[in-house]
Order: sequence, then C-alpha cells, then structure tokens
Amino acid sequence: MNDVVGTGAARVGGLDRVTGRQAYVADIPLDDVLHVKLVTLPVARARIGPIDDSAACAVPGVRLVMSAKDLPDPMPRFGPQRRDRPVIATGETTYHGDPVAAVAADTKDAAEQAAELVKVEYEELPAAPTLEAALAADAPLVQDPSLRPDDPHADTNVLHEHRHAWGDVDGATADVVVEGTYRFPMVTQFAIEPHAFMAAPDGVGVAVWSAIQHPNWLQRVIAELLQLPLARVRIHAPDPGGAFGGKQHAKYEPLLAFMALATGRPVRLVLTLAETFQAVRRGAAQVHVRTGFQRDGTLVFRDVEANYQIGAYADIADRTVAKGSYTSMGPYRTPSARIVARSVLSHTVPSTAFRGFGNPQQIWAVESNMNEAARTLGIDPLELRLRNLAEPGDEFIPGDTPADGDWAVAVRRAAEMIDWSTPPTPGRGRGIAVGLKSGPTTGLSYSTVRLLVDGSVVVYAGTSDMGQGARTIFAQIAADELGAPLPWVTVVSGDTAVVPYDQQTSASRSSVFMGTAVLRACHDIQAKVRSMAARLEGVGEEQVTVERGEVHIGDRALAIHDVVKRGLGRLGGEIIGVGEMRKDAEPDHPLGGTAAFYEFNCTAVEVEVDRETGDISIPRYVTVSDVGKALNPLQVRGQDEGAAVMGLGHTLMEHYIWDDQGRIRNLGAIDYRIPTSMDLPAEMESDIVENADGPGPYGSKGMSEGALLPVSPAVAAAVTDATGVVIRDLPMSPERVWQALQELEAGEVSR
Amino acid sequence: MTMRVEVTVNGRQRSVDIEPHHTLLEMLRDDLALTGTKECCLVGECGACTVIVDGESVDSCLMLGVEASGAAITTVEGLAAGDRLDPLQEAFLETGAAQCGFCIPGQLVSARALLHGVPHPTRAEIEEGLAGNLCRCAGYEQIMEAVELAAKRGAAAREPHSSRVATDVASIPDAQVAPQ
Amino acid sequence: MRAFAYERPDRLADALALMAVGDGSARPLAGGTDLLIRIRDGSIRPVTVIDVKGIAEFSRDIRVDDGWLRIGARTTMTDLMRDERIRRDYVALAEAAAYVGSVQIRNRATLAGNICNASPAADTAPALLVYGARVVAVGKGGRRTIPLDEFFVRSGVTTMLPGELVEAIEMPLPSGRRGAVHARRTRRRGHDLASVTLAVAIDPDGVTRLSYGSVGPRPVLVTDETGVLADPGASDDARRERLETLFVDASPSPTSMRATPGYRLAMLQVMGLRAVAAAQERAAS
Repeated sequence: MNDVVGTGAARVGGLDRVTGRQAYVADIPLDDVLHVKLVTLPVARARIGPIDDSAACAVPGVRLVMSAKDLPDPMPRFGPQRRDRPVIATGETTYHGDPVAAVAADTKDAAEQAAELVKVEYEELPAAPTLEAALAADAPLVQDPSLRPDDPHADTNVLHEHRHAWGDVDGATADVVVEGTYRFPMVTQFAIEPHAFMAAPDGVGVAVWSAIQHPNWLQRVIAELLQLPLARVRIHAPDPGGAFGGKQHAKYEPLLAFMALATGRPVRLVLTLAETFQAVRRGAAQVHVRTGFQRDGTLVFRDVEANYQIGAYADIADRTVAKGSYTSMGPYRTPSARIVARSVLSHTVPSTAFRGFGNPQQIWAVESNMNEAARTLGIDPLELRLRNLAEPGDEFIPGDTPADGDWAVAVRRAAEMIDWSTPPTPGRGRGIAVGLKSGPTTGLSYSTVRLLVDGSVVVYAGTSDMGQGARTIFAQIAADELGAPLPWVTVVSGDTAVVPYDQQTSASRSSVFMGTAVLRACHDIQAKVRSMAARLEGVGEEQVTVERGEVHIGDRALAIHDVVKRGLGRLGGEIIGVGEMRKDAEPDHPLGGTAAFYEFNCTAVEVEVDRETGDISIPRYVTVSDVGKALNPLQVRGQDEGAAVMGLGHTLMEHYIWDDQGRIRNLGAIDYRIPTSMDLPAEMESDIVENADGPGPYGSKGMSEGALLPVSPAVAAAVTDATGVVIRDLPMSPERVWQALQELEAGEVSR
Repeated sequence: MTMRVEVTVNGRQRSVDIEPHHTLLEMLRDDLALTGTKECCLVGECGACTVIVDGESVDSCLMLGVEASGAAITTVEGLAAGDRLDPLQEAFLETGAAQCGFCIPGQLVSARALLHGVPHPTRAEIEEGLAGNLCRCAGYEQIMEAVELAAKRGAAAREPHSSRVATDVASIPDAQVAPQ
Repeated sequence: MRAFAYERPDRLADALALMAVGDGSARPLAGGTDLLIRIRDGSIRPVTVIDVKGIAEFSRDIRVDDGWLRIGARTTMTDLMRDERIRRDYVALAEAAAYVGSVQIRNRATLAGNICNASPAADTAPALLVYGARVVAVGKGGRRTIPLDEFFVRSGVTTMLPGELVEAIEMPLPSGRRGAVHARRTRRRGHDLASVTLAVAIDPDGVTRLSYGSVGPRPVLVTDETGVLADPGASDDARRERLETLFVDASPSPTSMRATPGYRLAMLQVMGLRAVAAAQERAAS
C-alpha cells in the first residue's frame, strides 16, 4: 500500500527541469513559422492616424503587417469581465505599450527590422496615468462611454464601485480610533519566462500555444472571436515558466490567431521582458482605514475606503478589487464594518490577476493599521490579534463561509518560532501580521483517470502546473488510491483536445477542485474494480471493499492491478474513471459564491535598520500557513518561502517608475529590482498547521498565496519597532526609510 | 553575411554558419536546437541564459556567437553524462529546488561553475555565486541547500568541458564588506 | 539586434586601420557587457564591431612595467579580483571589481571596457582615480598616456580621440603602506548599478585621496592635504566638515531614477565618514 501523499515526493517534471528538456512555449519548434514583432507608440495615449507599412513590407521575408484595418469591423473585443479589449488598438492607443500593429516575417531579424520601419502617424492625447489624474473631475475618459452601456459610472473613470457593510459603523462608539492612508505600488509579475504565444491554422480550425493558466477559458475566447466551434479550437498550454496570475487571461493570443489565419502559416510571438512589463501588472492602490477599538483592544468597527488604479482595460482587475475588498476586515470578529472600493481605469498597462488577487493592497493597510493601533493602545500586537481573531466556525463575514481554520494556532506557532516572548537583540525591531484571502467562490474541474492493464495510470487534469507542483500532487493521489508506484503515474495536462474541462488555475483552487476531481475519478475506478473483483471471486459486492490500492475480500487483501489484470482478461483494455468537483454560483452573493476555503498566514519578522542609510536587513523571518493537509510538504515549503520573498520584493524594492507623460521609465531588469539570492533574510523558517479541516483531498486546503499577504505590514511594523518611523507607502526603499527617519528626527527636534 | 563558427558544445564538435549580430544564446537555441538555455532579460541581469565558456560562467545573451569560435561550451544539456545525472542535478531534485524550472538551467550551470572554482563554498559564497541568477518562484533557499548538498557530496570532481587546461583558480577573495 | 559586420584582427595595426573610419561606425568589442546592451537598445548603431580580444599586442595580464602596475586591455573584473598584487596593494580596485554585476558579468567585463563606457557610476573609476591611474591609449597617430582624471567627460564620453583604443591602464606602484577602501550605495544587496560610488585612499604621508561617482556627470577626484582625514584622532565633526568641503562640487542628476539628489548627497557624507574610518583601519593594520 502506498503512502506518498503527504511526503515530499519527487516533483513530476522535475527531471525535465534539471536537464533542460522541459519544453516551454518558446522552446517548441513549428515548421515554417513566422516571427511576430509588435509595434507600439512612445506615449501614454494617442489618436492613431494613417499607418504606412510600405517600408516594412519591403523588408525581405515580411509576410504581413497587421493593424486594425485588417480585422473585422467593428473591432472584435474580448476580456474576462468586460469585452473591452480590442484584438489590436483601434482609433486610440490607451497606454504606453498598447500595440498598434504587428509584423510577421520569416526570420526574427526581418520582423524586428520591419517593425522599426512601420510608420504610424499619431496625435498624442491628454492622458490620465495616475490615480489622481484619473479621478479628477475633468479627467480624460479612458474608456468611451459607448463601451459601457447601462453603466452608471460610464462618464467617469470609475469602472465599478464595490460596497459591503454590516453592523452600524457610524453609530458605533469606540474608545480609540486609529486611522491612516496607505499606498501600495504598481508592480509586475516578472515571471522569468516572458509570455510566449503561437497560433497556427489547424485543419478547418486553429491551434494556439500559450503559457496560459486557463486553457479552457482561452479556448472560449478564441472560438468566440474567430466564430469557430469550441471543438475546432485547440489550446496547447505547456507548463508556464512562472505565471503568478499574469498568464491567466488572453493577451495576444487572439491577435496571433487572426494572423495565423490571414497568412495560412504558424505565427510565433515571444515577448521581451520589457514588453511583459507593458502587458501585465498588479493594481496599485490607495487605502484609507479607520478602525475603532475598545480600550482593551477589542475591535468595534472598521471603515475602509480603497481606490485601486487599474489599467486601460478591465481584464480581471475589477474582480481583484471585489475579492480584495470583500475580506478587507481581515480574519477578525468585526461587529461593524464598511468597505467602499473602486476600480479606477487609467491610461496605464492593464492590471490583471497577481498572487493575492487584490488582497495584499488591503492587508498592507489594515494590518499596518492594526499594528499602529497596538502602539496607540499600548497592547502587544500579538495579543491584539489573538484577542480579535475569529475562531473556527465564526461567521466573521456575515452570510459567508465561517472561519474554517484554527487560525490562532498558526499565529501562536509563528510567535513561538520567532521567540516573541523574549525581547529581541538590542537594535532590532519585531513585527507581526496576519493575512486572509478567500479561496475560489465557484468552481468546476473534471478529471479522467485511466488505470492500464499493467497497473500504470494516466491522469488527465487540466490544471496549469506553473511551478506550484500541481502535477505532482495529482500523481500522488492517484498513486495512493490505485496502488501504483509514483513513477508509474503519468499526468497529462495542457491540451484542450485531450484533457477534460477545468475552469481555471487560480485562487489556489487546484489542490481542492482538481485534487477532488482526481480523487473521485480514482474512486470511480475503485467502484468498477469492486464489481470486477466481486464477479471474479463469485461474491456479492457488499463483501468487497476497495481502497488505497487494495481490494479486500474478507480478510484477504489483493493488489488492485492483480485484480484488474485478471478481470480484463484476454482482450485487455483499461478501466476509466471520471471525477468532477463543482461549486455552483450563488447569484445573490456579492462575489457570486461563498468561499470554498480561506487561506490564512501569520508572518513575523525581525529587522535591523541602518539609521544613516535607511537599509533594512532581516535577520529573522518566520511564516506559518494554515493548509489543512500538506499533500507535498516540500512543494508547500517552496511555495510559502517563494511567496515570502516575492512579498519582500514589493515591500522593499519593486515599483514602476513613470515619467510625467505617463510612460514607464524602468522597463526591463536593470532598473526594476526584484530580490536576488543576496537580498534574503539571514534566517527564514516556514511551518504549516495541518488540522485536516479543508474541503480538499485528505483535508487539504489551497495554499500558495497566503504567505505573500502579510509580508509588508510585518516588515513595516518591525521597522517602526526598531526606529519609531511609520511608513505607509511601499516600497520601503532605503531612501524612503531614510527620508522618514529624517522627518522623524526633525519633528522630534522641533518639539 | 554569415560567418562559420567552430565550437565544442557539451563535448561535441559543432559547426555553425551564423550572422555576426546573433548572440551565443541565439546560436545555441536557434541554430543548435539546444533550448535548455533560456532567454529572459537580455541585459545580463537575470542569468537565465548562463552557460560555461572555457571554464567560466557567462551570460550568453551578452556574447556574440562569433566570439565563441574555438571555445568549449557547457550548457545544461551537458551536465549529465548520458543518464547519469550530475550531483547538482540530483541535489536540485532532492531539495525541491526546481519549481517552474525556467531559471533552473542557469542556476545549475552557475552552480557548476561555482563548485569547480570553490569546491566547498560557504553559504555567503553560494549566495554571491548565484546572485546573477534570478528566481521568482523560490525563496532561493532550496536552491542553495541543493548546492550545499552537492558540495558535501564532492560534486566539484566533475569538470565542466574545457578546451584549455583549467587555470588555477583562486577562491573568490574574502574582501571585507566595504562600507555602504 | 541590428546587423553589423564583425572583425577580429590579430594585430594592433590592423585593428587601428579598422578603427580609423573614426566616425563611430566602428566600435571596439571587449567584454560586450555594455556594448551589446547599447546596440540592442539602439543607442549605439555600429556598422562594424571590432573584437579586440584577438589582438596579439593586447594582453590579459597584470604586471609591473617600469615603476607602474600595468593592467592589460583584456583583463577582466574576475582577473582583478583574483590577482594577488591587486588584492594586496590596490584593494579598493579589487573591491570595486567585485561589485561589478554578477559573476557572469565579471567573467567577461574588462577594466578597459568599463572605463571607456564612461558611466558616471562606473565602480572601478573612483578606485583607479585614487590610485593615480593613467590610460595608455593607442591610435593611428601613436601611443599616448592620459591621466585618468583627464579621461572622463560625461556619461558615455571620454577624451579618447576617434579611432583610439585602450591598450592598458596603469597605476603607479605604491611607495608605502596605504589604507584604501571602495564603497557604494545601491537599492538592494544584490548586484545593482550604484547610486553613489566612493573610493578613499590614505597615503603613508597623510594625504587622503577621495573619488566619488554617480553624483555628477563624471567621477571626480579630490585630495585632502590637511591631514585631517588621515588622523585617527580627529573628531567626527572635523571630518564631516572636511568632507563637506571636499564634496562641494558633487552635483547629482535631478532626473535620475535611482536616487534623489538629496539622498545622494547625504549618503556621500555618510559613506565618506565610514570609508575614511575603514581606510584608516587598513592603513594601521
């Protein structure tokens, strides 16, 4: 009997990754492929005039220069929330990097050369590239009101205003009120694999290759735009080289599909890293928090107003605002709450999903506010959390899933790991914060599993394995349930012609949704094996049980594959199981459904601050996540520590730098800084809480976003503890910390 | 106008006709179909394109293919000997160092070069030695643990391919941390 | 990248003949770690790239020559970091070289290329300046030496004449025990372009040379002959005052993305004090 679930089993696909054999989209050769290069304008917003492609077309090897005039009229549009994004810019470009033309040529050189020769006449238009500019009364509109019929905000740049409330915030009486305004920067996913796309005519349909997290969603988009039946659109989705949400939704696949059909040849577009900064990012935000406490630290009310700066097209950004704001009260018992959150369009790169999905911005504000309150109240910040934390079963968000974890355990564990009860070394400061995110609100995943005659297994699971190790846990589940050694399990994903439907890979959903689908498919096989065994042994089915790779009849135990081999007989064959997990939409719910589970994390850090330079170093870092069951602890650790370091990125160093004309100044890796191996905490420890209280296989919950959520407030609190400065704008670069220290000192001197 | 370049790649003699303005990275990926080495930042920051040229790790995106004429190059595809993995590759698998895997070829090659010069690096030396290889998935911890593990197992014994006699490589200077 | 022709001359005379076009359409290629980036971003558009690594007269070594330590044109940052003499007698240069980029960059980037690129933030420049370096340039008109503090003009521009190549960089041999150190300010601990660079060298005779970079269009050399900065007994206030006077011409760019002028100037002072203390310690030990 196997027992690989819950172990750090070797990553499926690991061997390919360490030998260089793993084929990412850019590694896949297609015969006769045309190379594509995008043409963009060096401005934030422009009216597009005539495009002269004669010089470009004269470059040997150039086969097509596509622009709006070559596409159907009206311009086809797509987008997961609103069909607002054109296949290519038409009439106007709306952000620095918005493609206005695309060249396809026999060689990369020819495409590059020709792209530089495309002459676009344009007229720069007034732009709203900042939150302030976009909210101003006379702001230029990012989206034409005709694109937003029946939208009461259509004559503003507010795409949507989300409101949640319970209790009575205005009528509540609190002993102490703490408030502040916090800013979260604009950052980009910076996956090490830049986006890559290919498309080719495929019989009477089309095939598309993309490192897309949602292959079935992309299939629908392409089918609709090209007016093809789904069955004629094949999406190949190789494992992404990192995605973090930036590869969830269609970007240039529709354009490539049109180009493939126009040329009759495969076409290929690989973005440069700089181009990815102009394709995907997180929403920046300004969040105002006002919280009322009783003198003993008990929460009375919380009042939050948040403006998210999203980009020129909705993409999935408005949903991030919806989800991020919905849980902005945090994992606490909050008697009265009010949240107003706005998605504000701007003439900038369209923001999209990014690990945390709208929550990090709010948690930065709310948890910082909690830590400031602790100081004001004179209460230990750990105590303040424990006093207010929701307990298992608490309906801490009225009408939604009750607290599904014993979150205090994670908090206490983190405190223990950092020796919270012992004062830190002199000169060091400590900070603590928690993060909560609601998991998926709806879901649908199918899996097919085939048990072959020799006992080996093929699992079809449409989850995108982008580093989190999805394939591995599905293989582990199948191995344990069907009694196959792990190397005898193959997982097939990333091909809509072969793999059954999966709604998406996001919201940390796949362990639960696809894991359960795989588990149920295995159970389906077990049921068939049960019938088979009963038939072979001449007993009633009620005398047979099948579980975890074994068939039990009375006190006999037989390996599943022995029974199967006998049962399939001379014709051979296989046993096919189908599994499904579905969570239907609840139309009256503000998010469309209750949370399938919550992700919860507690992070505690110790910092040292060089007061003369503002440098922050982190001698100790602790992160604890509540995961239900770690299906693969090695992978869980990798995700949690990776999330922590990614969080340190936006906490300490990452941000887009814009000029005052709405153009990005720091495109590329030289001036957009992410953490390197030399920027790590001196000591980083991660741990997990496993109470088997999740809805997924073996009591698991989703994880991998939680550990990113509270990084910045924990670090900021530690900085405050060490120096007294309160910083409310990220990133906390050395210069900003230094600036805050200067201001603090000046304030003290003048007192 | 193409130029002919003779190189040894992973122990094999190769001959390529290449445009002078094409990089070593393009030559490896496009002309020699060795797609294990990756393209990312193209400015020498991320290290996804790291290969070993005559015993030294370099960013192949900042080297022209024609500059590699006569050199011995090791890419990730050359680390294993047949189906016998390099101890670094084994260690990376054991510690779970590879997540999405895109940075891993560069990390492995940099680590191989590091261990060849410094067979038993300290943690600080590993951090410094791999600082030119960005990873966005991992916290780097499992990657560095893998390098430590491989070093402990005497991974330095395997030399990267070199057409020249390996020069005596002094350890990376233990310079005092200069004041910031 | 835009196409160009590639030449790899094996004799200096041939290289100079190729460079003699003189209008910038021929560019020398050493480590390539700056040149290839600039060709890619379009800021340099050479017709011909001339690989200097094959030139027989250009060495990749570090040797004593007539009272000077001569660093050959092909010497890389890694070579500098590992050289015994550099580490012993020119430690600020070894430190500076160790900061340039990552291992992969240092294995290719040459000292000659670094100074010809003439970034105001070039790490090696301040160290070379405090050590009194000079450049040996060679062109069709012959060979000449350029004191390094007459070499840099502004970002990307030096006093080299069109068609000239750097053959070597030389530093006088030390006359006694010096204390020297290199320091830099960056946005993260990992490799980064510096917002401020600073080298300090205290001579046995009590003269202190300082050179700062990235706080103006070019690296600047200043000298303190008062002895205050060389004096371990001097007060912090006295040092601060001296440094302020020495740094008076620092003029950071107001448009830089990396740091604001106010921060750069403040850090120059902070780094100055720390570097002076470190240099004194090294002079004493």
